[in-house]
Amino acid sequence: MIGRRGCLRLALFLCLAVLCVCGSTLAQSGGELRFCLHSEPKTFDPLLVDDDSSLAVRYLTAGVLIRSNRRTQALEPELAESWKVAKDGKQITFKLRHGITFSDGSPFSSEDVAFTIQRLMDPALHSPTGDAFRSGSGAVSTKIIAPDQISIVFPAAVAGLDRLFDQVAIMSAHSPKKTAAVLGPFMVAEYKAGSTVLLRRNPNYWKKDSQGHRLPYLDSIRLDIQPNRDVEMLRFKRGELDLINVMDSEYFDRLAASSPGLAHDAGASLDSEFMWFNQVANAPIPEYKRAWFRSTNFRRAISQAINRADMSRVVFNGHAQPAVGPVSPANKFWFNSKLQAEPYRPVSALKLLQSDGFHQQSGFLYDKSGNAVEFSIVTNAGNKPRERMAVMVQEDLADLGIKVNVVTLDFPSLIERISQKFNYEAAMLGFRNIDLDPNGQMNIWLSSAENHAWNPQQKSPETAWEAEIDRLMRAQASTADEKKRKESFDRVQEIVADQVPFIYLVNVNALSAVSNAVQGANPVILAPQTFWNAERLTLNATVQASR
Amino acid sequence: MLRNVLHRIARKLGSIIALVLLGGLLSATLVRLAPGFDADERELDPSLSAESVNALRHSRAAEHNILLYYTSYLRGAARGDLGVSHALGQPVLTLLRERWPVTARVVGMGLLLAWVLATTLAFSACLWRRPLYEVFGITLSGAFLCIPAAVLALLSVILNAPGYLAIALIVFPKIYRYARNLLAKAYALPHITAARARGLGEVRILAWHVLPITGPQMIALGGITVSIALGASIPVEALCGLPGIGQLAWQAALSRDLPLLVNLTVLVTLVTLLANSGADVMNYMLRPHEPQRGVDLA
Repeated sequence: MIGRRGCLRLALFLCLAVLCVCGSTLAQSGGELRFCLHSEPKTFDPLLVDDDSSLAVRYLTAGVLIRSNRRTQALEPELAESWKVAKDGKQITFKLRHGITFSDGSPFSSEDVAFTIQRLMDPALHSPTGDAFRSGSGAVSTKIIAPDQISIVFPAAVAGLDRLFDQVAIMSAHSPKKTAAVLGPFMVAEYKAGSTVLLRRNPNYWKKDSQGHRLPYLDSIRLDIQPNRDVEMLRFKRGELDLINVMDSEYFDRLAASSPGLAHDAGASLDSEFMWFNQVANAPIPEYKRAWFRSTNFRRAISQAINRADMSRVVFNGHAQPAVGPVSPANKFWFNSKLQAEPYRPVSALKLLQSDGFHQQSGFLYDKSGNAVEFSIVTNAGNKPRERMAVMVQEDLADLGIKVNVVTLDFPSLIERISQKFNYEAAMLGFRNIDLDPNGQMNIWLSSAENHAWNPQQKSPETAWEAEIDRLMRAQASTADEKKRKESFDRVQEIVADQVPFIYLVNVNALSAVSNAVQGANPVILAPQTFWNAERLTLNATVQASR
Repeated sequence: MLRNVLHRIARKLGSIIALVLLGGLLSATLVRLAPGFDADERELDPSLSAESVNALRHSRAAEHNILLYYTSYLRGAARGDLGVSHALGQPVLTLLRERWPVTARVVGMGLLLAWVLATTLAFSACLWRRPLYEVFGITLSGAFLCIPAAVLALLSVILNAPGYLAIALIVFPKIYRYARNLLAKAYALPHITAARARGLGEVRILAWHVLPITGPQMIALGGITVSIALGASIPVEALCGLPGIGQLAWQAALSRDLPLLVNLTVLVTLVTLLANSGADVMNYMLRPHEPQRGVDLA
């Protein structure tokens, strides 16, 4: 017999159980997530994506064969059940999942993969994603082995081949909707130019959670196009936005002061801030200045005279780490752990300069011909942290008697100066790295490349160390052996640390904000920091009801 | 009378077309001379191959000779093709069609609000001649005259106010000061003072004596305020995140987007000239005319 008290307990227990079930159901489905894109997406064609906003849309809508897990940095199977890269690095074979359909209902098969690869590698398309696969001259071929199996053969070995597929959105070969037919968790439902991109849940998305619920949990994602960061912050504080994907340290600290639980610092990101000197032979700069900039001792001295720790503390309020080299310590596999950030050594810097014939007189530094050491640093206007970093470099170098002029230019003018007219002395910029693999930096390190910023498009390497970097970069690109690749790229990092063509300053931390309304968010250092697991994000019931 | 008005409209249209074409050419020339005109930020993308970077540079080659570019632009425009925006990768015509309604609404509402506020205050100050109205109007207009347009736009963002309010507050002081001075001068005329002394009602004085004197200049001011409001829409839309023509102009200027800038210049020139010419024609129609003797009295 159950007594009256027992009945009450049972009723209470049942009520609680029902509430728990309802609560979990409410948390696991529906709702509209809202955040901002900082510019208009330039394209919705996933193979032509080249800007941050289009990248965000592609990440949320595209189905890929292999996904690089943004938290663990490991590769995970997505549309491909498994894959195998040939030993020579020229071929990759995929085994595809069964029963998957595009958002419009058309079935997914190896034909779609073949179609995507052929379009991606079409030289006339000039796809930035496709360019990453170009390792040698000749056509890329696809071989459909079965509806669920396909091989792709490249004319030469492609380094880090499997990782590159993280960026390749599979398109439908037959769907009349073309790029609008997607395999990702969301699909573009509405686009209002200059205002919003509305993504709705893909009803045919193939993934399910561990309990068998179909993903994604959210009904839709509203991406408001908002270039103004102040407005974005204001709207986040008002509860109109749920995420801020990338923040600068000033906004971050303001938010952390008022709502500490909402601000997330995931640590040093892959992005780096750096400066370099113009070493271009025919650049319109005085010959004696070119001689300084081409001197390794001069570049090392400048690097040693910059106080990176102070820069991290003052400019970024501690939300940055002194940079070591081209690879951030956050890149677990490719970072050369033998290297360390250049410490602040003004005395050693002065000795290095003296060994090159420089001397101090009345607080100013002169070269051996009596020219006062003075140069300008150009950087992009409007980027406050970068402007402040340039001022800190100016102050640090003033201690050595070097006069630095900081010149801020709008971006098109800056690009024209550093990549077309070479009419500058030193430049300061940042590198947004979304690719863990160093092969993505080939166009920076090869002396013949366009983006070999300090001295681009060399017909043959002008220095022995650049020739050595060329050799090592080509060596790492021509093998699929990760160990050999790592050895080659470790050596590249050592040469760069020794020759200092780029003076790496800081790796900025990945700062983001997530409102209390969002459940399941786990901000990471790799882009997209806050919504990398968008298919598993949920909104709490109160917010859902209010929208 | 009608023949004269039509003749006047035809002459105005002719000069508008000439000025719009000249404005477009000047804009194209100035953009071509701007530093960084030929640069594209994608050139710094290390993932792009040399071939893709070259293709990017070649895509702008047609813009190097400004006369050739402008001729081909005019040919395209005659067919309804205004070119493709470099920065946004979309046809300019589509962009203008999508964004024009936003600007029309923001500018229209802003102008309406500014005119209502300014004329109400100006009439109040002149009709009732109380120092309070005078001081209030002058202080308010003076304050908004001193605040930069961008600050007013930011304030409207912070206060979650609509963008047209910022436009209204930017345009209001200009209308108020001009209208108040105009009305004060009109009310100081001897025949109006005499009418007042004889006890004529204020409404009758306003309708019969003040408005006929001030009307033409107020209408002319109306045309000018359209161009002031259009200019103000650039910082307001850019800062408030309103997807209109102003925001587009801001983006186009930053990215040296020649097709977009030329079309926007043509559009803004056209609207400004139409507004001013409209005011001019309206004035001509409202003006009392002598009997026609085959001579245009304009």
